[in-house]
Amino acid sequence: MLKTYQALRRNGVIGINERNVRFVNALNERKFLIRVDDKELTKELANAADIPTPTLYGVIKNARDMKRLPEFIGHADGFVIKPAMGSQGKGIIVVESPLKGGWRLASGRRVDMEAMTYQINNMLSGMYSLGGQPDKALIEYRVKFDDVFGQVSYKGVPDIRVIVLKGVPVFAMLRLPTSESDGKANLHKGGVGVGLDLATGITQRAMQFDQLIDIHPDTAHPLEGIQTPYWDEILLMAAKSYDVTGLGYVGVDVVLDRERGPLLLELNARPGISIQIANRKGLRFVLDKAEALGRNAKTPEERVAIAKSLG
Amino acid sequence: MKIRIRHATILGLALIAVGAVVFLIKSAVLQYPLRPDARALLWDFEIYLEFEGRNAPARIEAYIPARDVERAFPHEEFYSGSFGLSLINEARSPNRQAVWTYRYPDSKKVLRYATQTLGETVSTPLPLAFRESEPQVIPFEADPVKRQAFIVWSGNLRQRSADARSFATLALQSAFETRADNEQYADEVAALLGDDTSVQGRLLLAQQLLQSQGVPARIANGVYLSDARRRVETRHWLEYHVDGEDFRYFPEGTPDRFFTVWYGPRPLVNAAGVDDLDIQVALRSRETSAAAIAENAPGRLGDFGRSFGFANLPLTTQLVFQVLVTIPVGITILVFLRQFIGFKTLGTFMPVLIGIAFRETALLNGILLFSLLIALGLTLRFYLERLHLLLVPRLAVVLIFIVLAMAGITLALTGANQAIGLSISLFPMVILTMTIERMSIVWEESSAGEAIKQGAGSLAVAAITYLAMTNAMVEYLMYQFPELLFVLMGSCVLMGRFTGLRLSELWRFRALAG
Repeated sequence: MLKTYQALRRNGVIGINERNVRFVNALNERKFLIRVDDKELTKELANAADIPTPTLYGVIKNARDMKRLPEFIGHADGFVIKPAMGSQGKGIIVVESPLKGGWRLASGRRVDMEAMTYQINNMLSGMYSLGGQPDKALIEYRVKFDDVFGQVSYKGVPDIRVIVLKGVPVFAMLRLPTSESDGKANLHKGGVGVGLDLATGITQRAMQFDQLIDIHPDTAHPLEGIQTPYWDEILLMAAKSYDVTGLGYVGVDVVLDRERGPLLLELNARPGISIQIANRKGLRFVLDKAEALGRNAKTPEERVAIAKSLG
Repeated sequence: MKIRIRHATILGLALIAVGAVVFLIKSAVLQYPLRPDARALLWDFEIYLEFEGRNAPARIEAYIPARDVERAFPHEEFYSGSFGLSLINEARSPNRQAVWTYRYPDSKKVLRYATQTLGETVSTPLPLAFRESEPQVIPFEADPVKRQAFIVWSGNLRQRSADARSFATLALQSAFETRADNEQYADEVAALLGDDTSVQGRLLLAQQLLQSQGVPARIANGVYLSDARRRVETRHWLEYHVDGEDFRYFPEGTPDRFFTVWYGPRPLVNAAGVDDLDIQVALRSRETSAAAIAENAPGRLGDFGRSFGFANLPLTTQLVFQVLVTIPVGITILVFLRQFIGFKTLGTFMPVLIGIAFRETALLNGILLFSLLIALGLTLRFYLERLHLLLVPRLAVVLIFIVLAMAGITLALTGANQAIGLSISLFPMVILTMTIERMSIVWEESSAGEAIKQGAGSLAVAAITYLAMTNAMVEYLMYQFPELLFVLMGSCVLMGRFTGLRLSELWRFRALAG
């Protein structure tokens, strides 16, 4: 056990304790956290900085807004309802299309108006928000994901997670939904995490449930060697997120839309540490190096250049 | 970053040091026992005087225990009958005298003094003032013959000794030298002792010899705490200080424990105007809790010890604190289990709250009841899900259901087992309701397995913290030494800056250990 401990320390693997003490608590000022916790605010800030996000159709804050729900959801190509302060994808409803007076969800289930308002009411009363505080529901554009990862996804939307230290992207991974994860890209539910080469955006080897794997468990397609499109744009979006939030240590979640390219889905002030397994590399030394190099970088473009040199 | 780590480390260590120092003072110096069942022998000491009045003015003086070396006697009792009683503190000595007087006593009279003591041991220090060296004094100023003999004899001893310490040994030896009837003492010793070859007489000579060399010495009188009897002999010994060390010379055998009553060569009781005086010194031993004795320790140090304790609070408040001070122990264990082991629990302090609830139900019953109520509550919660209720009303329904279920279980069990039946009513329903809600969310959002895993993890932590919080040793130590809260706080501060991997993370990242 001591040997494992020493080997992990030597490889620069950081645990939750170190992430919290050295990075999250030290670099993320509490007063700025609202910028990532409230997804409506994140969207506003991102749009102001020319970071593309899924279009916002409407916001429901109370019962009066609820009357306007029909006008927010009149989109034939579907929409997404999510709690503004939810975490880990909790409470998100993905609607694909209208179906027989109701709607068809991405999971295939059909819901009617009553079920939908019930879900939204749950969101408003704070069921999914941190600490159970009253929340609001965001209704936004449903991402039509790029087919480039189609062969290595099972239902759901694959997304790209980039860890950014003071504006310098340091680690990246592709998160793929599986049948076990019920079409969600969350790693702790069984999603696949694929390491991404920071310089090129090409996929490397992968992991699921903390174990190393080489092929997608559902499609059996090899996971290695796929080129992520728009890689430079993605890195630039991640680097800009620092200027937008002022938070020193964030996880940036990006999805690839077939028509609109990379879109910023959300920011996370406490990004998970499983990304180390996906990249087969501990975070500590890369974080230390990025911090040293990034000190003099002024613009997002400079920081992207540093990121590409981290290798 | 670095500064913050240092700051936290200093704060943590400082808190631990403060707690540990107070703890050490109380346990090592004030003798607060470290075990709840520690007992100590407390001795009842009594002086009992019986005499016939002469129908003439009577005056009885008796030495009562001297206040000395941090000694105090909070439970002193006098029985004076119709006598007048006054207490006299002797000048330039710690001795105290009780003086009983009466103008015309007739018939049989009784006077009594009683107190309690733990006694002293050979290692009990002599007073600090005793350590200052004194001027050399030659006694027998009025008696040139004795004076001459004393000078010769002390000169002889001085010649035969190397230093003050060996002089003291020789002086005691020569004063207590016993001879068979036909043998003769050295002339000088015989002359100095005269007819008084009693222990007191020899001790006085030894004291005079020591003082002639400037060694502080005094005769102490008291009783040996070895046997409990109605009539105990008073004993006499010599206390002296030489070369920075305290010595006690017991001519009648060294006791384990003794009790000093007065100092000097005078007798215990001086009586005038009475007949048939009978002096009884009685001792009775009695077992008592060692903690109670430590809490009554005299002096400033005793006050200090008491200030870190709850003994002065009303009893009901004490009982509350008895429970309260154990909770930080449970919390600290929880912190350890989360930060170092990596236990997953429902809610942050929920397991400790459940553990506190177990106090009322005992462990096994608690776990069974808890699981049963959670299972029932979860079933209801899944049914309510289909009704599409709003969050707060739904929580309220679950809570009312929990109360109903508790009432049902209580009624059902009252016939079979009264204890369980009563204890369940104190189970915290709000905690149960929130646990059910959290668990059902985990159930839906993650999986049933994850929900059960976290539920079981919470129960395990609850059981561990419960066992720690109700451990008799922990309860006693935390209540008797509340300064340990500083130690717990300090260790939590230190754990708060722990950046190492958790035990569970060793497993999680095993793929990267190559």
